Amino acid sequence: MRLTSFLKTLLRWELAVLLVSGCLTSLAHASDKNFFVMDGHQSTIFVDGSVARSQNTVFYTTCAVTFVIFVLVAGTLAYATIKFKARSAADEHAEPPPQSHGNPLVEIALIAASVFALVIIAIPTLKSIWYTHDVPAEEKAKGNAYEVNAIGYQWWFKFEYPSVQINGAGTLVTANELVIPAGQPVRVNVRTTDVIHSFWVPKLAGKVDMIPNRANYLWLQADKPGYYWGQCAEYCGDSHAVMRFRVIALGPKEFNEWLDGQVAPARSVSSPVAASTAAKPQFASLRKPDSYKTNEAGITTKFDVNPLEAWRAKQFPEKNEDPALVGRGKELFKSKTCQNCHAIRGHGPLGVTAPDLTHFGSRTTLAAGLLENNTEQLHRWIHHPGAVKPGNKMQFGIGGMAGYQKKDDKGHWTQNIALTTDEELALVAYLESLK
Amino acid sequence: MAHDTTAKSEFLPKDSPAPAARPGLLWRPTAKTGLMSWLTTVDHKKIGFLYGVFALFFFLVGGVEALLIRAQLMFPNGDVLTAQQYNTMFTMHGTTMIFLAVMPLSAAFFNFIMPLQIGARDVAFPRLNAFSLWTFVAGAIILNIGWFLPADTHGAPDGGWFGYAPLTSKTFIPKHSIDYWVMGLQLLGVASIAASLNFIVTIINMRAPGMTMMRLPVFTWMTLITAFLLILSFPAITIALVELMMDRQFGTNFFEVSGGGMPILWQHLFWVFGHPEVYILILPAMGIVSEILPTFSRKPLYGYPIVVFSGACIGFLGFAVWSHHMFTTGMGAVATAAFSLLTMCIAVPTGVKMFNWIGTLWGGHLMMRTPMMFALGFLWMFMIGGFSGVMHSAAPADAQQQDSYFVIAHFHYVLIGGSIFALLAGIHYWFPLMFGRKVSEFWGKLSFWIIFIGFNVTFFPMHFLGLNGMPRRTFTYDPNLGWNTGNLVATLGAFMLGIGIAIYFAVMIYTYFKGEKVGRDPWDARTLEWSIPNPPPEYNFRVIPTVHARDAFWYEKHHQEEIAKETAEHAKDDEAHGGIHMPDQSIWPLVASVGLLIVGFGVTYFDSNPAPGIHAKLGTTLAGFAVVLVGIYFWSLEGNAGYHIHVDDKGNVLSDDHAKH
Repeated sequence: MRLTSFLKTLLRWELAVLLVSGCLTSLAHASDKNFFVMDGHQSTIFVDGSVARSQNTVFYTTCAVTFVIFVLVAGTLAYATIKFKARSAADEHAEPPPQSHGNPLVEIALIAASVFALVIIAIPTLKSIWYTHDVPAEEKAKGNAYEVNAIGYQWWFKFEYPSVQINGAGTLVTANELVIPAGQPVRVNVRTTDVIHSFWVPKLAGKVDMIPNRANYLWLQADKPGYYWGQCAEYCGDSHAVMRFRVIALGPKEFNEWLDGQVAPARSVSSPVAASTAAKPQFASLRKPDSYKTNEAGITTKFDVNPLEAWRAKQFPEKNEDPALVGRGKELFKSKTCQNCHAIRGHGPLGVTAPDLTHFGSRTTLAAGLLENNTEQLHRWIHHPGAVKPGNKMQFGIGGMAGYQKKDDKGHWTQNIALTTDEELALVAYLESLK
Repeated sequence: MAHDTTAKSEFLPKDSPAPAARPGLLWRPTAKTGLMSWLTTVDHKKIGFLYGVFALFFFLVGGVEALLIRAQLMFPNGDVLTAQQYNTMFTMHGTTMIFLAVMPLSAAFFNFIMPLQIGARDVAFPRLNAFSLWTFVAGAIILNIGWFLPADTHGAPDGGWFGYAPLTSKTFIPKHSIDYWVMGLQLLGVASIAASLNFIVTIINMRAPGMTMMRLPVFTWMTLITAFLLILSFPAITIALVELMMDRQFGTNFFEVSGGGMPILWQHLFWVFGHPEVYILILPAMGIVSEILPTFSRKPLYGYPIVVFSGACIGFLGFAVWSHHMFTTGMGAVATAAFSLLTMCIAVPTGVKMFNWIGTLWGGHLMMRTPMMFALGFLWMFMIGGFSGVMHSAAPADAQQQDSYFVIAHFHYVLIGGSIFALLAGIHYWFPLMFGRKVSEFWGKLSFWIIFIGFNVTFFPMHFLGLNGMPRRTFTYDPNLGWNTGNLVATLGAFMLGIGIAIYFAVMIYTYFKGEKVGRDPWDARTLEWSIPNPPPEYNFRVIPTVHARDAFWYEKHHQEEIAKETAEHAKDDEAHGGIHMPDQSIWPLVASVGLLIVGFGVTYFDSNPAPGIHAKLGTTLAGFAVVLVGIYFWSLEGNAGYHIHVDDKGNVLSDDHAKH
């Protein structure tokens, strides 16, 4: 090898190494441990439910079959490319190879082999289609299937428990966090009131679309108690990306306790509306809502360590509750027209167009699974909902109901609901008290 | 009839006098250079070139949209774009790449190459061809006009390229963005159907003598099948778009739930079009690869009849699998199973094509030129896209993958790794024929490797993202879901891909002006288009060739004496019949298309409510219709006389009665 060409080779390697190491350095900053193993919160590979497991088994079958075909076909292709490559100019100008036109027997054999490979995929596919379609008949016969309704709205989820009727208030309703019994089939009837959404909890089951005028359903069964991430999976307008929800699966005893708690009306913090209604100094250290960047994450990594425990902790009243502030928040909830859309059962408000907030304080997330439910994030949300969730109804109203801003006759936006910081904090304190 | 089949104009007297010059509006333009020559051209090569230029322009626009999408998703909680802008961007990226980039780029090759491959001097209806081109441009303008109008009342389309009802209704998107999408696609449909009918008639009727159907080059076969797919699938979306337009403009209730409409109907209509559309995008690519592999392997396509038949089979089955886009819509177990099995069936003819391409390489003398590199890249990438396609066909697996990044990975492997790679290969392959210059091998291969690596770095991680639960069409994601690395890598890859594409086109533009000049047939190719000088003369073939075998030009090269004798005889016959007959240029197809543009603008731009808007709307729309009518009326009135060219046996033009008009 001549020196110049050796140097050139060296240079080429040098460049390649630089490029690769540059990429690796920038990757190190972003790396999350679970990219290649794919065990994130919404993994379809590491699943915790029988429906998702059946779907995953079919996926693995397709992987196995296509891998074998890949090895054979790609191997042949690579071999042919290397073996029959013209190596020199003389080679290129040699007599053309024999002008052959193909062989019908080879073709037929290859077609037969492809069909055979597809049959291997088709059999588990058909089995799984029927298994995942509805709750198995024997479970149904035993009356084991628990039924809930999931209703999609732009951009949040309402959940109904048709088997739980509350005296004088109809069906039990919650929002954005679906609590289900673990180890038991759950049939989810999916509906929508506006556009098409899709109900997807990857670790428990594949998605089924919520389509207007269509009585769709799916079923799922969580193996064990757990906390699962879900997300709308059909493009549904501006804030589709932040239309999320959670599923919390509980053991039978805990589930029934939870149901009893939900049936009860909203918790009241007994206190007259006190004279001092200014927020306490402990709020002074809170992060200012305007300091958040567009799309800034509203979650902490601490929460991810044991989300189910975090959920359990949320079922108890907050420390440092300030009854006076809560009382003022309760009044503001009515006077600032929140009650036109939201319901808080037992406290008066009975709006139905927005999430039911009766036990809001016991949820781990707010704004449809987007932000962690804590004082700071709730303050951020109430302060300027439009900055958190573009196009949401609280900002601009819905139907005849005006939100924070409304359009006047000339088409200009004007302020409709104005809140001072003290008022915002009073509302926060009130909502957090709703266990 | 037993007489010579090469006679083209036997009804004309031998010394046809020049037709009398025509007055006023029936004047026929004769400009051969300058703006007027392009606006009035009926030459399939010029029209093909224009299709190519527009397609590549929109390919770059769609690419910039893609890079903005990737920039937004580079890191979690990105804020390069707002949610609104992001939704507009992915809607227009999809719509642009499918309707304004890949389809017209295929149409460019249909126009330029197909008539040359069958030994014809033009397409069957040259003026209709011009009309298709200009109507395509009108549709592209309407689709994109929203970018230049206020975003709160107009704006570019933002309902997704699939435009699922009822999100596209006036209730949920009251601004005009969706109207532009509807009218834009409608005009593109008119253009596509007109062009397809033209190609079908051309291929059926205008083949050179001896060019039987089973001697057609595979690219021409795929053109024919694609044209049939277009005319059979576009009516479905035309109906759907008309219904959507009526819902939005006149308050009908096809998809309005409150009025008893059925949103699911939209999905069926859309995908009955949408799935054949996938094959409309890939079959021309398969045709191109089926031309390039034999040329650079120096042997015929392996299993030609099977490749042709499997192409037809794919086209046919393409109409029977639309609901695999709807596995999650609750169709019921039986329908889901049926569409799942039918979808698996499509893997068979597709696999057969792959086997035959490998069979073509087997035992050949592979010349690793740039077009061949892209074609081999196609084989690898399309194979991977095919495998993930099989994974989707299993409905239960698809329930997890549907609308996740896994699907994005899949269809970019078949649309970039498949369609775009083949089209880029085609540009390299036919560039010497079109412009008489050859792209430098070094720069061609360099751009190939950057594109190839960039593409894989972008889209391979998306498989992982999808399986890890990342949904599509989301403008933001949180950092705790395990998607950070994948998105960062994908974005870096996307910029690499962008650099590769930029180099590719820079080199193309350089070559167009300054590239190495090459003579006829630089690749030692096999089909008729290479038998003519480059760049091709306006009349294509001095003498219409007679075809004796598949790979007609390869046969000619190996039977030169026989062919020379035959050609001399036919030249004499041609001259006896008045010389080479050429179509006249015309301005009226352009006028009719401009009329459609005005109609489109009238239907979309103005509000039908409040009342003052309705006058402007009606007025503009009617004025547009009037222009369309005028265009079509004079188009039919001016007739199709044409003119004659006489050339000597070297191809020098002796006389041309064109100017006498």
